[in-house]
Amino acid sequence: MQDRDLSGQKILVVEDNFHFRKLLVTILGHIGVAEIREASDGREALEILKTFAADLAIIDWKMDGMDGLECVRRIRRDEETGTRRIPVLMVTGYDENQVMERARDAGANDILVKPISPRGLMRSLGQVIEAPNAFIETEDYVGPDRRRLKAAFEGTEKRYAEPEGLPQGS
Amino acid sequence: MGDGPPKVKLIEPPHPLREKVGPPGKGGVTAEMLARAEQVVAEMAETFHDWAKEDVASIQKACDGLEAAPSAAAAADHLERVFGVAHDLKGQGGSFGYPLITQVGNALCRLVETLEAPGPREIEAIRLHVDAIRLIIANRMTGDGGPEGERLVRGLDLVLRKL
Repeated sequence: MQDRDLSGQKILVVEDNFHFRKLLVTILGHIGVAEIREASDGREALEILKTFAADLAIIDWKMDGMDGLECVRRIRRDEETGTRRIPVLMVTGYDENQVMERARDAGANDILVKPISPRGLMRSLGQVIEAPNAFIETEDYVGPDRRRLKAAFEGTEKRYAEPEGLPQGS
Repeated sequence: MGDGPPKVKLIEPPHPLREKVGPPGKGGVTAEMLARAEQVVAEMAETFHDWAKEDVASIQKACDGLEAAPSAAAAADHLERVFGVAHDLKGQGGSFGYPLITQVGNALCRLVETLEAPGPREIEAIRLHVDAIRLIIANRMTGDGGPEGERLVRGLDLVLRKL
């Protein structure tokens, strides 16, 4: 992902905390994203999406006003703006599994847990961009195909892997 | 159950975003760009303690309100305020070089979300967490805060165990 060109991207950042929003926008600007729009809650985000054809949205979960979950649900149900299938990266300070599932059930493609770093944000953007998720529409759920998210990971989990660079027998 | 199978529409993606992002190796994000982004975030961290002080003042005010709350309903509003600011600090701390604030902010969030009608001991425990965050900011205890940071976290842990 690191060497992919993001200069053609339009990204919407939805975050009610000014400082955190500034942090996200600053990182995106420095990794080459040319067009970034900002919203301070879900309602403002939905207004912006009426005229801004975002390629991706980064949305905070917990916001005053309309929160991130409701914002994602409305994006996924909106048949008028043409942005209902945009990838959504949800940013949250919560890190419990149950919370992750709620974000995915609302229609988020992926989740980034705060605190964040430039590399962490890049990695998450990469996962969202590279993942070829099909889009599902049912009466109960509209959003990316969650089966990918629930599929077993077949690689070596880093936390279980032998650490590199340590002397033998340490 | 309905008469037939549920209606499910599966749309296989053309992947416009991946195509638009462009193939690897053509004017992409370089290690230099990432390093510059990290540097700018580190510069932003220089002012973190200024606005974090405002957040601490805001939690202290909410604690005052909590102590004076005439009813459980009034207390709930103040608790929600404490949780909201602690949650913000938890997210911001580690992002701006203060993972110790993330750790204490997380403990404060966990404490507050279990409380319905906090008594004097619980309010005191909240205040101790807020004081810890204030100390971390005042002493600019970046990173894990070293031995002093460890003592601080251990002390708060003891407070929570005694509740």
